[in-house]
Amino acid sequence: MSSRARANHWPVFLSLLVALSLEVTPVPVELTAWRPPWLALVAIYWALAYPRRYGLALAWFAGLVLDVLKGGVLGQHALAMTIATWLTLHFHLRLRVFPVWQQTMAVGAVVIAHEFIVFWVDGVAGDATLGWDRATPVLAALIAWPLLAGVLHHLRFRLHMPT
Amino acid sequence: MSPLNQTDNKPLFERGPSLGTRMVLLAVLSVAMMFLDHRQGHMENVRRALSVAVYPIRVLVDMPSTLFGWTRETVSERNRLVAENRSLRMESLRQRARLQQFAALEAENERLRALMSSPAKLADRMQVAEILEVDLDPYRHRIALNRGEQAGVYLGQALLDADGIVGQIIRVSPLGSEAILISDPSHATPVELTRNNLRTVALGVGDVSRMDLPFLPNSADVRVGDMLVSSGLGDAFPHGYPVARVSRVERRPGEPFARIEAEPTAALNQSRQVLLVWKGGEAEPAAAEQLPEAPPDTTTAADETQ
Repeated sequence: MSSRARANHWPVFLSLLVALSLEVTPVPVELTAWRPPWLALVAIYWALAYPRRYGLALAWFAGLVLDVLKGGVLGQHALAMTIATWLTLHFHLRLRVFPVWQQTMAVGAVVIAHEFIVFWVDGVAGDATLGWDRATPVLAALIAWPLLAGVLHHLRFRLHMPT
Repeated sequence: MSPLNQTDNKPLFERGPSLGTRMVLLAVLSVAMMFLDHRQGHMENVRRALSVAVYPIRVLVDMPSTLFGWTRETVSERNRLVAENRSLRMESLRQRARLQQFAALEAENERLRALMSSPAKLADRMQVAEILEVDLDPYRHRIALNRGEQAGVYLGQALLDADGIVGQIIRVSPLGSEAILISDPSHATPVELTRNNLRTVALGVGDVSRMDLPFLPNSADVRVGDMLVSSGLGDAFPHGYPVARVSRVERRPGEPFARIEAEPTAALNQSRQVLLVWKGGEAEPAAAEQLPEAPPDTTTAADETQ
């Protein structure tokens, strides 16, 4: 662990910060339902890449920051991110060796769990709306994951981060 | 770069609690936070601390649209600016002509009030705040503003734009604040009809162009086109600002209440700036301190009273 203390953390934090910004970037009204859960996808990526280093605690804290940023119930996204990251870590040995399309499907399943928890908490808090726009983030995540994984993989390669 | 990556190999003996235990701990912590935040409202300190850290992200996200507006202003043609300037000057002239009349009316009103020995109505203080171009939760109608505690913003403060009431402040942090729009499904606005002072409540339905008035009986004297202004009841909004205009009245003989819809007068999803209102002279914000960080176009209007 001590030798890893000097490890490069900034790409991880920078990517999480960019994901947080993308979560609230204004987009045309027709596209708001199609916003992928960027923060969850980035956390899943880093959990798959370094399962012993960036795990539950980081995902939980990032989720908490997202809650404050979006002004929702405190703990909503923290819980959803914790469960999504836990699922990822639990299956990481299998997920890592999957081909891209299979990995995308598996990540889609994790995102479904994430979105379901967000929806559930909305329901308990009394703000639930049920419609097709609850499903579109999952489809958007399926499209976004191969791109995101490609970009972050390239970044890791260029920065000579251990693979 | 060694081919063998020692850190990411599974250690022979797990240190610390297992993955499942940590997940359960964090999940329980999250649920406890949700309960304390939503049911009890005890987490404001945590939220305040984090919101200071989060404010730069909001400003960062807002930056492209600010930059775009600035660029458009800077590179736009001179004659367009001149035309705009001229039309604004005409507008100002018209408004001032109307204001002269208004001053006379106000004096008359005050005399009448004095005759009836009712307390004089104090003028409301206003200040311009900018809406940060940030998409908050898509299922709620909330906006983020660039004025917070340091500008004297307080919880429950009313927001206006040029045409009517926009919403009220629901969360204040040191640098910014969040507001709920009157169109949010969980918001209700106490209103009255200008024509006959009939009082009722206008509910948001999650649509920026529609509000519901569900508590008026079939016999109520309401017509399409009636103006709804804030009634000042409930102490949330100052009295007498326009809220909505009745757009549909459907009397249903079989039901206890009529179906009445109204259209908000304020441009809820279009305005970039809103006015914060301090009711009748209470809470003095330090207006002079805001001049440095406010954009030049807002400072001129930053300290007007109505």
